[in-house]
Amino acid sequence: MKPREFDYQRPATIEHAIELLAEHGGEARVIAGGQSLGPMLNLRLASPEILVDISKLSELTQVQVRGDRFFVGAAVRHADIEDGVVREATPGFLDRVAGGIAYRAVRNRGTIGGSLAHADPAGDWLPVLIALDAVGVARGSKGVREIPIAGLVEGVMTTCLAFDEILTGVLIPRLPSTARWGHCKFCRKPGEFADAIATVVMDRERNRCRVVLAQPVRPPLRLDQTAQIVATLGGLTDGSQAAVRDAVASDLGTWGISADADPYLFRLAAVAVARAVQQAFDR
Amino acid sequence: MLVNTSGVGSSIHRMEDDRFLRGRGQYVSDIASRGMWNAAFLRSPIAHARIKSIEVPTEGRKQIFTAANLQGLKPIRGISSLPGFQASDLPVLATRKVRYVGECVAVAIAPTRAEAEDLLDGVVVEYEELEAVVEALEAREPRAPLVHDEWSNNIVHHMTSNFGDIEAVAKTAQHKVTREFRTSRQAIMPMEGRAAHACYDSRQDELVVHISSQMPHLIGIGLAQILGLDQRHLRVVSPDVGGGFGLKIFLEPETVVVAWLAMRVGRPIRWIEDNHEHLTADANCREHRYRVTAYTDDRGKILGLDAEIVVDGGAYSMWPWTSSCEAAQAAGILTGPYDIKHLRAEALTVATNKPPLCVYRGVARPGVCFATELLIDAIARTVEREPYAVRIDNMVVAAQMPYTTITNKIYDSGDYPRSVRDAAELIGLKEIRERQKLQRSKNRLIGVGFASFTEQTAHGTSVAMKMGVELVPGFEPARVRMTPDGQLVIEVAIHSHGQGLQTTLAQIASEVLGIDPRLVTVRYGDTAVSPFGTGTYASRSIVMAGGAVSRACKNLGERIKEIGAHLLQSDISSVKIENGGVSSDVARVEFAAIARAWYLHPEELPRDVNESGLTVVQGYRPEPDGGAFSYATHAAVVAVDTDTGQVELLDYAVVEDCGQMVNPMIVNGQVIGGTVQGIGTALYEEIAYDERGQSLSGSLAQYIIPGATEVPDIKLGHIVTPSPWTEFGIKGMGEGGAIAPPAAIANAVNDALRELGVEICETPISPRRLMAAIARASSRRAPA
Amino acid sequence: MTNVKMLLNGRQVSATVSARTSLADFVRDHEGLTGTHVTCEQGICGACTLMIDGRPSRSCITFAVTCWESDVRTIEAFEEDEIMELLRRCFREAHALQCGYCTPGMLMTARDIVTRLPNASRERIRLELSGNLCRCTGYLGIINAIEMALARRRGGLGMPQT
Repeated sequence: MKPREFDYQRPATIEHAIELLAEHGGEARVIAGGQSLGPMLNLRLASPEILVDISKLSELTQVQVRGDRFFVGAAVRHADIEDGVVREATPGFLDRVAGGIAYRAVRNRGTIGGSLAHADPAGDWLPVLIALDAVGVARGSKGVREIPIAGLVEGVMTTCLAFDEILTGVLIPRLPSTARWGHCKFCRKPGEFADAIATVVMDRERNRCRVVLAQPVRPPLRLDQTAQIVATLGGLTDGSQAAVRDAVASDLGTWGISADADPYLFRLAAVAVARAVQQAFDR
Repeated sequence: MLVNTSGVGSSIHRMEDDRFLRGRGQYVSDIASRGMWNAAFLRSPIAHARIKSIEVPTEGRKQIFTAANLQGLKPIRGISSLPGFQASDLPVLATRKVRYVGECVAVAIAPTRAEAEDLLDGVVVEYEELEAVVEALEAREPRAPLVHDEWSNNIVHHMTSNFGDIEAVAKTAQHKVTREFRTSRQAIMPMEGRAAHACYDSRQDELVVHISSQMPHLIGIGLAQILGLDQRHLRVVSPDVGGGFGLKIFLEPETVVVAWLAMRVGRPIRWIEDNHEHLTADANCREHRYRVTAYTDDRGKILGLDAEIVVDGGAYSMWPWTSSCEAAQAAGILTGPYDIKHLRAEALTVATNKPPLCVYRGVARPGVCFATELLIDAIARTVEREPYAVRIDNMVVAAQMPYTTITNKIYDSGDYPRSVRDAAELIGLKEIRERQKLQRSKNRLIGVGFASFTEQTAHGTSVAMKMGVELVPGFEPARVRMTPDGQLVIEVAIHSHGQGLQTTLAQIASEVLGIDPRLVTVRYGDTAVSPFGTGTYASRSIVMAGGAVSRACKNLGERIKEIGAHLLQSDISSVKIENGGVSSDVARVEFAAIARAWYLHPEELPRDVNESGLTVVQGYRPEPDGGAFSYATHAAVVAVDTDTGQVELLDYAVVEDCGQMVNPMIVNGQVIGGTVQGIGTALYEEIAYDERGQSLSGSLAQYIIPGATEVPDIKLGHIVTPSPWTEFGIKGMGEGGAIAPPAAIANAVNDALRELGVEICETPISPRRLMAAIARASSRRAPA
Repeated sequence: MTNVKMLLNGRQVSATVSARTSLADFVRDHEGLTGTHVTCEQGICGACTLMIDGRPSRSCITFAVTCWESDVRTIEAFEEDEIMELLRRCFREAHALQCGYCTPGMLMTARDIVTRLPNASRERIRLELSGNLCRCTGYLGIINAIEMALARRRGGLGMPQT
């Protein structure tokens, strides 16, 4: 299938991009790498009036240290993160996650901001950035605001961004080298959409432990009861494995999710979390 | 003994590679003709509905067409002469009803595909949704909703076979082992989908249709009939084709519409199937249901088989093979490589509201192999013996060759038990059994499984005529011509789309005439150039076209020797062809000189020279022509993760025998390629439907095709037992690789999960299915 | 209609096209470079892979208008490329193609592996190939071809014979 017609503009500044979005009242779509939008346009699942191309705006392609946080511009490509452009922020973690997204050819164009704004529930960045307590920076007609990534996503494929707002980047707190992380992704084969992604970050220095679960059918969830249990563990034995799995079930229950709707995905969630925890301890 | 280093038996590089490596292949979508427009089809979104109205916007009237515009265009009607077959009319654009999601309802043409789709946006179709019947086992029931109103039931065809006395066997057998099996619907998904480009050639007064097809001549016959054209006013060209695997051996509605449009609007029209269309409207193969019972002695020797086979034929019979072609074969191949004396089989093709059946590499064999090979393992578990040993004990042995099965297939040659023993050796069965004894992990379990099969290849007239199909292959032709400069042009009726026939046929010519294969052009795929033949399917091409080329070259060789002897002033009995020329004891004349004499200096020719000169047209059919039987045993080693249901393929081995190999490198490529498709069937590929007949797998994000990470390093072993009845003893083998993997892998999974009491009986073995099976087995084991 | 401007196979190209024209359709239909093939149009199968600014990219989900002043190279641009010639010979030697449809995209990815990951293991090669589907070969020939090319480059060996 081929897309419906659309106009195309490549504004030279973010301000102009925002003006274009405001002008078209929700009928405009931002395009950066196009790796998520392209397939939708090709199937006529999206039919915007105009594409506003922000991929080459210099403010959006920079990586900057800002205090104890790293600013990663929204238009930074997954491949560049894979190749280490922001390696210092979270030694090895972000690179590894980036390298597991889709395929290299897609990573060469796709961007971190595009992935976040697309809010695909099977995407990699959301659970990881939530686990890192990262904050999105958005700019729109009403000005600039910071949005914790945990609050960015409102539903499957929907964010809290207004139609005239652009995600300009992500602020990622520096992760100390003493921190441990685990990232377990279950998919049928590499590069495909995941049935479950579990991300665990244990930062003893800041007394912080995060466990985040992403599955195709809903936005990512923080599993705080599980995080509390994991924070007390020194390693993962058979007994503590069982405790972790039970905590996951309990967390899911708190979120209103029962095994009945999809026993397979429910069970897989617990396995993914347990393996992510194991990874974190093995590091 | 074959000693030619570029003839039969040598792994020379392929001639076709160069253009593909440089992006210079020419596929249908690469053709750009002046004034060409693109077609897009509006397809039914509903599986079963009456069409109440179709409204075409006024401004689109010249570019949008529905059935009402297609006056005089007959529907496609696939017919079988088998008794009781129910034929169906497939209108090329839907008339009163639609019967599957994806059925063509309207077509739009415009300069670009995108604009054609825009036009379709304005077409309004009012449907009255009817109850859809989606599952074949439900559709076969007497009170199921009818797919075709004029039929009294949904049974396209029903065949009963009875050999020996199964009732007697049932009374005396020690064991009765019964199982039910299911294989899921798939899409064939060659990397190039279907495509057609039609345009009228006023100089030749013919419609020229380029189509991505495996059988341009047969398509031409069907197309001319439907369009009401004389055959001589139609030329069909199948250029480079990006994979076929059976998808491209049917005449499909879109081709007919494109051809009709080109004639009607007077400009070239093309249609390129996109992947979404393919995964929806072309989700059409492999869906079978089995219930099989084996009666055995106490050692697992099978005394008789009793089977019911149900094939989901989809909504229509396609031309020419019909939706009954798989079930019609199934009973005949059920005994496989085994020596079984009693067989009863019911084989049904059932219509459902899903896309019309298409055959995919192996046709009925992968399903039948799945059922019988899993049954063998179930028998082995019942009698507590190693599955591979039970296999061997049941097999036809080399000393019995040629062996006639109870279903009247003549197995020509082979050593089936050896393939099993060699496969067990190659996969390291002993080491795996040791490893299994030592394994500690509760959630990563290792298993090994085998599967064996025979494959009837290159069957001829005597077999095809019993299949009930309108078109029966006869003598396969080759036209071989020496060019004025002493090189060769070969024109054949088969088609090559990955099988390397441009190379292997040149190798055969090289074997016979001693000519360098790089000086041989092989042409195929164009009804204006190639002699008539039925095309490439059923693993027939190397035997049939290879045989024809071999015979034609031998005849040409006689003519070359005749002229050469004359030029050398020798007796024909004292010259021979070698190294690109004709030699006597004392002198030599090159092919180029012989050709020059024929073409430019006939005054130098012998007085009684053959008037037909240096062009030979030769037909060929092996005798007997019941088919050349290849066979193989596959072995798979898996690791099953009982926490996630994922199956990892740790190792895989194939031991195959296709007689004399023309090009072993190409044979290996076919085996490996087929095996990976089989891995797709076994573990990944499935078009799932909801109860309304809506496909849940519309893109490659849902329909998973194996990639490089899903394929272990496959070990290959070869046995060579030539066919006694073909040229050089060659046998076909193109489909074999795809036949056994689902069975071998399922047997390996069941071996791994044996202690848990799990028996998988369904493909694909997805994580969900596996976890569900483990849960069921565990609740069976739990105390009440 | 929107302006397109790019360096295409080393040549400056300017055109006015509908903004929805994919880069794949632009190079094929507008510029007659049919070596780049289209299969899934979802960015999954890899058949359409070509180079944008030296990096393998999916031309099926990239719009031509977004490639403003980009350096776009299709398979046709690699006739004289030494690395591609090595790969062509290795592909032929290892029987890494059958129908040829996935081959141009496969070669683009292969070239990227060979240049970016000179020490790639067999397992890594497989992973890097996961974005290029092939329905004919079963991948082993392709993996072997890339291994062969990597070994030749590491060992300073010349080209395999044609």
